[in-house]
Amino acid sequence: MSGVELIFYPFIIALLTAVFFRQNSAVSKFVALALFTYMLLFSINLFSQLPSSGYLDLGTYLSVPKFDFILTLKVDMLSTIMLTLTSVLLLLVALSSWSMKNQALYYSLLIFFSGAIFGVFMSTNLLWFFIFWELTLVPMYFLVGIWGEERRIYAAVKFFLYTHVASMFVLLAFFLIHKEAGTFDMTLVREGMLLSPVLIWWLLFVGFSVKMPLFPFHTWLPDAHVQAPAPISVLLAGVLLKMGAYAMIRMVLLLLPETSQQYAWVLLVLGLITLFYAGFMAIYETHLKKMVAYSSISHMGLVAIAMATLSYSGLSAALYEMIGHAFVIAPLFLLAGFFHHKTGSWEMKDMGGIMQKAPYISAIFVLAGLGALGLPGTMGFVGELSILLSSIKSFGLWMAVVAFGSMLGAAYIIWTLRRVIYGEMSEVVRKTNFSMNIFEFLALAIFALFIILFGVFPNLLFEYINPAFAQFTSLGGAL
Amino acid sequence: MISAFTILFTMALVSLFFHRSFLLKPLSLVALSAAFYVTLGGAVVPLIGFATNEQIKLFELVLEIVLFASILHESEEITITQTLFLGAASVLLLQSNTLVSFILSFEALSIISVVLVSYIKTKNQAQGAVKMFIAGSMATGIVLLGSAFYLMGGGMLLEPLSSKGSEFMNIGVALMLAGLFYKLTIVPFHGWAIDTYALIRHSHAAILSGIAKTVAALAIFKIFAPFLAEHITLSLPLLATLAIITMTLGNFLALFTKNIARILSYSSIAHAGYMLIAFVAVKSTYADEGILYMAIAYIFMQSGAFLALDSLKKEYDIKTLDDLKGFASQNSTLSFFFTIQLLSLAGIPLLAGFLAKAVVFYAGVDAGLWWLVLIALLNSALSVGYYAWIIKSMYFDEGTLKERLVDLHLPQIAQLILAAGTLYFGVFASSVFM
Repeated sequence: MSGVELIFYPFIIALLTAVFFRQNSAVSKFVALALFTYMLLFSINLFSQLPSSGYLDLGTYLSVPKFDFILTLKVDMLSTIMLTLTSVLLLLVALSSWSMKNQALYYSLLIFFSGAIFGVFMSTNLLWFFIFWELTLVPMYFLVGIWGEERRIYAAVKFFLYTHVASMFVLLAFFLIHKEAGTFDMTLVREGMLLSPVLIWWLLFVGFSVKMPLFPFHTWLPDAHVQAPAPISVLLAGVLLKMGAYAMIRMVLLLLPETSQQYAWVLLVLGLITLFYAGFMAIYETHLKKMVAYSSISHMGLVAIAMATLSYSGLSAALYEMIGHAFVIAPLFLLAGFFHHKTGSWEMKDMGGIMQKAPYISAIFVLAGLGALGLPGTMGFVGELSILLSSIKSFGLWMAVVAFGSMLGAAYIIWTLRRVIYGEMSEVVRKTNFSMNIFEFLALAIFALFIILFGVFPNLLFEYINPAFAQFTSLGGAL
Repeated sequence: MISAFTILFTMALVSLFFHRSFLLKPLSLVALSAAFYVTLGGAVVPLIGFATNEQIKLFELVLEIVLFASILHESEEITITQTLFLGAASVLLLQSNTLVSFILSFEALSIISVVLVSYIKTKNQAQGAVKMFIAGSMATGIVLLGSAFYLMGGGMLLEPLSSKGSEFMNIGVALMLAGLFYKLTIVPFHGWAIDTYALIRHSHAAILSGIAKTVAALAIFKIFAPFLAEHITLSLPLLATLAIITMTLGNFLALFTKNIARILSYSSIAHAGYMLIAFVAVKSTYADEGILYMAIAYIFMQSGAFLALDSLKKEYDIKTLDDLKGFASQNSTLSFFFTIQLLSLAGIPLLAGFLAKAVVFYAGVDAGLWWLVLIALLNSALSVGYYAWIIKSMYFDEGTLKERLVDLHLPQIAQLILAAGTLYFGVFASSVFM
């Protein structure tokens, strides 16, 4: 399958899966697994075809010249990394949803989502980018609304409305870009062509901050992530937030570099507030999944700080942290959901002593937790250290405050571990049987493997990440 | 000379002899297919005062497809006849080129609309029909008064609208627009529409708010756009205000409504506001495509949504959001089609509703009205609130199993046709940009 088929076939496959496998829903799992494996191979294969700099052309389709409404598919190193990350996560999410109810519809929505998200990362026409960007909301709306927890309907509608409103600013900015630069193709737009870059910058910034999310636009996230079923929380945190960060890098920082230089302080300040605010909220939370959600927001604050440096090392660090965050937060969400499923409670006080009942599962939780607080040897450490170093290099020594953010991380993670995994065994845990499906455990084990592998050998990733920002080499040294 | 109009009009007359015959529906469908074929071949209109072009031709094709679907859906013979008459009048209105032909065919369309809703079986339907009749007569009077002023200012009946004359022409055009905006349900001329659309039969509402209104909007744009472009300093502030009020009021009122038919009526008003942006941005070269795209998308999704509601009411007696709870588990096909049309109305991509809004709003940006477009975009985002709420009732809520009153198959084919149109024009925009 070529790039465009990989976007549109999933929509058709999704419809067929929902219609024909309704009675025989186990087949839908294997359809999804096969498709996501193919997507992963496709993305990995792209690395070998990429030119040393610039874009690899994957074709243009559905051309409407007058409106410049052309499906232009081009990938570069940055989008290929995002494609690979997305397909890995989709594959693991498909594995960890093995025992969902109403599987035909569930997996067909996942397949639909995979097509839309590939469109986001592949298309360079702004209007088509926006189309796929919005299209990811529809399957997410249904996935949260149908399979979510108690307050799922509120969370689903809030998520849909909130992010849709934000997207409207983005669409207006794209319209202004087309009016002023005469093209929707982001690879052809230069900042010098624009008459009102400041207005466009702010519209884009607000639109993408909601998705990332940055304080004060983060309020949809705790609801959506907590009410979503655990595998979907992984997709929200691992793919949807990354989509926001990707758009922030590509459309704001790389497309409008001069205005971004001028307003980088906004990104920096919001990033710092997000880091600390979400960190304190995570300490305060006794709801296990909410704690993980706030920890997720806090890490996106770190990503925003790294982006604000607008330097080669900063952006590389941001991209590394985006990947690291996806792998670290995923097992935390999955296990929070698993513990809730088994104990019937979200409150940490009802858990405790799970280590004695389920040592392997708890070990993965501890490992992911340590990754989230940045223990050396895990992905979290490399990400946080490189962000700290690059921000000190760009903004001066006072950026050492970022380290306090990591200390907040240590506080909420260690305290959570003490209350949930260690400590005295609670009554609820004593009565619970923590047996896990082999496929779900496999997904967790792969996540754990990645956390250690890329934590010990970060260069395996940096080898690919660094060339993504080659145009910034003039601005500062490499890691 | 055979044209789509002659075929539809003849069939409408012939259908009067086929009442209570099982042949009526197949014959009408054949006639519509023939009209489609003739339109596709590009039949020339020989009458004075009528002209056609590629864009009008495309819309006529779309119109014939939608008429086909609504006749396929319809089970009442009398409505089929009226739909055919309405189709004939619509073709005339779309092709009219001078003031007199426009007014005459517009009146024809209005009269058939009134006849259509006069099919009264309950007190509610009577209320809706009477409201429409009174408001429609008012509107007609105002349009005629406006045309009188226009002629007094030096305008010509047998020519396209021009602005070479005295100030009276401006007053005349303003009055005519006021009358025409009744039909387009622009606030503050919208009062009748909510009751009428919600109270009459849903399949009639589909024809009235989906087909008749869209045809009127396109025809009004075709006749009035050159005049508005010449008087942009006068028309822009006035129409921009009307557009903002119309879409904002429509959307906010829809948010607080529980009756599904009323929600769709308010959403119809909000869409009239979006269409008005093309009138405001008439200077832009994208305004033509904008209104055409909006008309095409709207005729599919609004008729689709109302026809789906008609099936819901007939088969399960569903009226409010509460009745709809858990419906998806009961009839997944119908709820899927309904969901597609609702998402399209909400402006979700890969459906015609999104591209239509994108082109109209881009025309606004192109004309330098980005603040107006921002308001429209936020309105459109707000509208997701109530469309998503309907979908939420169908898919997320647990409901009681409802008794299926009748089993209908043809409406599902009609829904398939309309959903296919919504999907096609959501992906392949090249057919509209000629």
